[in-house]
Amino acid sequence: MHPIFFGLLFLALAPVFGGLVAGADRIVTARMQSRVGPPLLQPFYDAGKLFSKTSRQINPVQEPLLLGHVTMMAVTGAMLLGGTDLILTTFVFALAALLLVLAAGSASSPYSFTGAERELIVLLAVEPFFILMMAAICKVTDASTYGGVLASPKLVALEIPGVLLTFLLVAVVKLRKSPFDISTSHHPHQELVKGLTTDMSGRLLAYVEIAHWYETALLAAFTVLFFNWNVGLGLVAFAIGYLAEVLVDNSTSRIKWQLLLRFTWTVTLLFCAGNVLALFVLGV
Amino acid sequence: MTLSNLCAALIALPIALGAIAFLIDRTALRSALVVTGSVIVAALSIATIPAFGGADSAFFGLPGELEPGAALPAIEIALTGLVVVFGLYYRRFLAPVLALTQLSISLYLELSGRLPEADPGRLFWFDRLSLVMVLIVGIIGPLICVNAIGYMRSYHRASPMLRGRRNVFFAILFVFLSGMFGLVVSNYLPLLLVFWEITTLCSFLLIGYTRTDETIGYAFRALNMNLVGGIGFAAAIALLADQPGGLQLVELTRGPAGAALLPAIALLALAGITKSAQMPFSSWLIGAMYAPSPTSALLHSSTMVKAGVFLLLRLSPAMAGSLVGYGVAFVGMLTFLFVSIVAGTESNTKKVLAYSTLGSLGLIVGCAGIGTPELAWVGVMLIIFHATAKGLLFMVVGTIENRLYTKNMENFDALLSLMPRVSTLALVGIAGMFIAPFGVVIAKWSAIRAFIDVPGAPGAVLIVIMAFGSSLTIFYWGKLLIKVLSARRQTDYERSIERRVSRYEWLTEAPLALGVLAVTAFVGPISDNVIGPWALGSFSAEPRDFLHMAPAMVLFMLGAVMFLPAVAYWSWRHPAYDHADFYASGRSATPAHVMGAALGGIRRVTLRNYYMNGVVNGALAFRAGTATCGLVLVAMLAAGAMGL
Repeated sequence: MHPIFFGLLFLALAPVFGGLVAGADRIVTARMQSRVGPPLLQPFYDAGKLFSKTSRQINPVQEPLLLGHVTMMAVTGAMLLGGTDLILTTFVFALAALLLVLAAGSASSPYSFTGAERELIVLLAVEPFFILMMAAICKVTDASTYGGVLASPKLVALEIPGVLLTFLLVAVVKLRKSPFDISTSHHPHQELVKGLTTDMSGRLLAYVEIAHWYETALLAAFTVLFFNWNVGLGLVAFAIGYLAEVLVDNSTSRIKWQLLLRFTWTVTLLFCAGNVLALFVLGV
Repeated sequence: MTLSNLCAALIALPIALGAIAFLIDRTALRSALVVTGSVIVAALSIATIPAFGGADSAFFGLPGELEPGAALPAIEIALTGLVVVFGLYYRRFLAPVLALTQLSISLYLELSGRLPEADPGRLFWFDRLSLVMVLIVGIIGPLICVNAIGYMRSYHRASPMLRGRRNVFFAILFVFLSGMFGLVVSNYLPLLLVFWEITTLCSFLLIGYTRTDETIGYAFRALNMNLVGGIGFAAAIALLADQPGGLQLVELTRGPAGAALLPAIALLALAGITKSAQMPFSSWLIGAMYAPSPTSALLHSSTMVKAGVFLLLRLSPAMAGSLVGYGVAFVGMLTFLFVSIVAGTESNTKKVLAYSTLGSLGLIVGCAGIGTPELAWVGVMLIIFHATAKGLLFMVVGTIENRLYTKNMENFDALLSLMPRVSTLALVGIAGMFIAPFGVVIAKWSAIRAFIDVPGAPGAVLIVIMAFGSSLTIFYWGKLLIKVLSARRQTDYERSIERRVSRYEWLTEAPLALGVLAVTAFVGPISDNVIGPWALGSFSAEPRDFLHMAPAMVLFMLGAVMFLPAVAYWSWRHPAYDHADFYASGRSATPAHVMGAALGGIRRVTLRNYYMNGVVNGALAFRAGTATCGLVLVAMLAAGAMGL
C-alpha cells in the first residue's frame, strides 16, 4: 500500500487513539489514588462539551494559532507515516509545539505567559533529543522514511538502547507529566492555575486537547520505530511505557525549569549523544 | 550589454554615485540621487541574468582590454594610507601596523618580480555563484540604501547631538556595494584582495559613523580583525605566486587541493573566517550593532559577512576531505552552537539578530568545510534565504527602533497592536529566517542528512552540535515571536505611531518581504537551474536531486512561512472577536493590561521573557566559544602549514 494511505489513516484515527489513551490514563490514575475514575470515553465527552461553550479570547491571534497547532500536530503524524523524511518531520513537530507556546504567550496574561515561557523551555529541553533520535535511527537502519525503518532487518531498540532510554524520559516531559509538568497543572490550587491554557476557553481549549491526542499518537508512532520488527510489539511497548509514566506522574512533585533543562540535556548528552557517538565510531 | 561591460559598470557606477552623494549637501537632492542610483544599480545587476545566459562560467577582462598594471598596488597603497591616517588620528596603532604588514607583503611580491602577470582576458570570472551574489548585492543593497534615507532622517531627529554627516554615510554605502560587486566577480587574486580591503575599510567607516568613543572602539576592532584576515589573504597570494595557475581563483577550485596548495588554502580560509565574523572573530560583528541600523542591514545581508562565506564556498572543493576542511567546518559549527546559546541570554533585539546571523553563517562555514555537493548547495541556499530575510529584519527593527526609541526586545510588548503592518513585515522576516524552508529548516535537515554520511567521530559530533544548536534557535526566536504577537488595547497616541513611518521605509521593506515569499515559492527553479548545476559543476559530481521536495511540499512550506504574517494581518483587519480580559486570580483586569491592585490602586502588567538565568551565563559562553574556536583555528592553520 502507498505510504500516503497510512498518513491519511493517522489523520483519521490518531485522535481516537489519543483520546482513548487519555481516558485510560484517567482511569488508571484514579485507581492509583483509590478512586473509581470517569468512563473511558470521558475525554471525548469533555471535548464535545468544550465545543458547545462560548470561546472568549484575549488576543484575536490565539484562535488561528491554536488551529495551526492542532493542524501541524496532525500533519506531523501524517508526514511521518506518509513517507516524509524522518528528520524533516522533527522540525515540523517542533513548529507545531511552538505554535501552542505562541498562542499562550500572545495572551500576555501573567499565568499563561509564564506557562508559555516554561513550555518554551520544555521545547528547548526535548528538541535536541528528537533530532538525535531520528539521526540515530536513520544511521542504524540506513533508511530515511518510516516504511524504510519498519522494513529494516535490524531491531532498532537493541541497536541503540541509550537512545531508547532517553526516549522514555523525554516522553514524560513531552506528555507534560509530573515531575516535568512545569508549563501546566491539572489542579487549580497549584502555583500556575492551569499554566499555558489558563486563558483559553471553549473550542480553543478543545483544540489543545485534540492536539494532545495527536501528540500522544505521535509518541506511540515513535515507539514503534524502536520496535520496528512488529507494529503490535511497538504498541505493547508504548502501553507499558505509558503505564510507567502514569506511575511516575502520581508519585513525584513538580521540579523547577532550571533543573528540568539541566536534567534533560545531561541525560540526552550522556545516553543519547553517547550512543550516537558509539554508533559512528564503532560502525554499524 | 556584454557581461564584461555590465560588471565594469556595476563596479564603477556605485563609486561615482558615492562621490556625487558625498558632494551634495541638500538632503532632498541627495535622496533623489540615492533613489535614482539605486534603481539603476538594481537594473544593471538584473541585466546580468540575460547577459550571462545559460553558460557555466565566463572569463573576461576590463572593457577595452585595459590592464590593471600599476593601478592595483597604487590602490593598495592608498587604502593602507587611509588606515594609517585614521590610526594615527585616533591613536590606535595596531591597525596601521597590520595594514603596513599586509602592504609590505604585497609590495615585496610586486618588487621582487615573483608576482605572475595577470592574464588580461581572465581578470574576472562569472559563474552561477557570482550571479547569485551579484543579484543579492544588487537588489538588496540598493533597497537598504533607499531605506536608509528614511532611517537616517528619524535617527538624526532622535539624536540631535550627533553631527549629521549623512553625505558621508551614503557615499560609503555605495562604495561598499562597488567593492562587493568587484569581490564576487574577480578571478585574479590580487584584484580580489583590493576589493576585499575596500569592503573592510567601508565597514570600518560605517561602524564608526557616529564617532563616539564607543563606536570608534568597535570600528577599530572590526578593522583590526579584518586586517588580520587581509594579512592571511596577502600571505596566501605570496605562497601561491610560485605555484602554477597564475594566481587565478578558479585554479583553486578544481577539486581537493594537494599538499602544495593547502597552506595557501588555509590562509584564505582564515581570511574568510574573519570576514564572516566566525569565532574567535565574532566580537567585531556584535560591536557593529551600535552603528545605525542600515549599516547592520548591509553588513549582515548583502555585503561583508557574505563575502567571507562566498570565498569559503569557492574553496569548498579544495578543502574537501582535508584536515583544513574539518577545521573550518568545526569553527563554523562550534560558532553556530555557542552563539545560539548566547542569543538565548540576550535581550537587545539587534544583538539577537546579530547572533542569529553568526549562527547561520556558522552553518554555511560548516557546510563549506566538509565539502560535498549537497552541503555546498545548502550553503548557497542559506546565503540567499539569509540575505533576504535578515536584510528585511534589520530594516524593520530599524523602523521600530526609531518609533519606540528602544532596541530591547522586552519593550516590543504588544507590537502587533501598536504597529500592525510593521509587525506583519517583521513576522515575514522571522518566518523566513527560521520557520520556512531555508530559513534554516531545510538547511539543517540537508546538513544532518549529509553529516550522517560523514564517517567516524566527526560525523557524530557534528550531528550533536546541530541538534543542540538548532533547538536553541527555537528558544530565542520563540521569545521574540511572543513579544511581537502579543496585543493590548492602545491609546490614540500609540495608534498614531505607525503613521510616522516614512514612505522610503514602506517602499523598501514591503518589496523585500515579498522577495522572501518569492524565493520560498521559487525554491524549485532556483535549485534546479542555478544552484544545483553550480554545485554539480564545482564538484564535478554526478547529477542528483538536491531538493528532495515534491511541489506539494514546497506549497506546504510556503504556507508555513505565510501563516504567522497572515494571522497577524487578519487579526488586525478583523478585530471582532469575543473578547475576555485575562485571568488575574479574581482581580479586575482590563484590555489595556492594567489590573486592580491593593487599596484600590491599579498596576500595569509587565511580562518579561526567560533568559536562562541560573543555567547559562551569556558572557561566559561567548568567551568559551571564542577560546574553543580559537584553538580549532590554530589547529586548522597548523594542519594547513603541514599540508594535511
